[in-house]
Amino acid sequence: MLKYADNLQQLEQVLDSYIAAKTIPSLNVILEEPISYFLKKTQEITITNFDSLIPDSEKMNVMSAVYVKCSGDLHIGVLWYMLEKELKPLAKKLLPESHVNEFDKLAISSISEIGNILTASIVNAIDNDKGCKVWSSVPGFAIESLNTLLEVVMSDFGYHSDAVVVSAVEFRSLHSGIELQMLLIQDPNEVEKLVV
Amino acid sequence: MNRVAEVKMGGLEIITGDKSELKTFVGSCVAICLYDIYAKVASMAHIMLPKKLNEKKQTVEEERGKYADDALMHMMDGMIQLGADPKRIQAKMAGGAAIFSHESETGLFNVGPRNISAIKQILHENNIPLVSEDTGANFGRWVKFSLNSGEMTITSNLKKTEKII
Repeated sequence: MLKYADNLQQLEQVLDSYIAAKTIPSLNVILEEPISYFLKKTQEITITNFDSLIPDSEKMNVMSAVYVKCSGDLHIGVLWYMLEKELKPLAKKLLPESHVNEFDKLAISSISEIGNILTASIVNAIDNDKGCKVWSSVPGFAIESLNTLLEVVMSDFGYHSDAVVVSAVEFRSLHSGIELQMLLIQDPNEVEKLVV
Repeated sequence: MNRVAEVKMGGLEIITGDKSELKTFVGSCVAICLYDIYAKVASMAHIMLPKKLNEKKQTVEEERGKYADDALMHMMDGMIQLGADPKRIQAKMAGGAAIFSHESETGLFNVGPRNISAIKQILHENNIPLVSEDTGANFGRWVKFSLNSGEMTITSNLKKTEKII
């Protein structure tokens, strides 16, 4: 049996391969420009210490976020977020000019759909590679501080576990400079399913 | 001396005369305060979830406020030990927001409304009057409780509002 630290390292490699093969091409097509990404860290944290994930200076930053919860053979939460002020440049890329003056339902819906598509790219990669069947929820959209967003997600996992494994990934579009962050959250007891 | 006791997620603090204020930040979680204004004893829990699924599981010290059922029991016991009269104990609470859209439709998270409902049920069962509340909606809140005045001050940075209940 692998040591847990090795598991986390392997998990990071597995995720890296899924993102490179599936998520980046999807985002590339959506934004119509090249995308770079950086898998920052995979770590286990206790749920009540979730605030260790973010520096104090960023806790109250207001973010636009989409959360997709996945269940089935694996339980995964995927939080996509970006600074609220960057929502408009992103919406502009997705919607005709006439729709972006205000953040109407269409803009929110299109951004939620990005979260949905990108989450699906990872879920499909898991299915293809590991044969795990996973279903995604309706994406939930919110504009809130990062602290508040994470509290909801962590509470949701708190029913089943005292700890979570979190992988943090940053995506950047190379022409327009749009930055999108992803946190992929898992139950630590399920990590082995992805690294076997 | 720092007169403010900060309550972490899932945590629980009880104060007497040595501290004058309890403080936390909640989104879908609920900040519940119990207090006996005459005995000058108050407690705050940062409740994450309605109920402990595994009742046999031992509660760790830092997570005494995690589950509504567990937290209210610890709050009552601790306050009575410090001189509070159970007949005088009152409650105020804030938080329990539904932060993400579609929470109620999917039923997948919806943690906030479930927390509120569970806490009200437990308060009712224990004959603890809920004096006032600022719950629900879709935004996070800073919550401060003053032991001297019994007032709970709720601030939203995002909405730029302050409310005293």
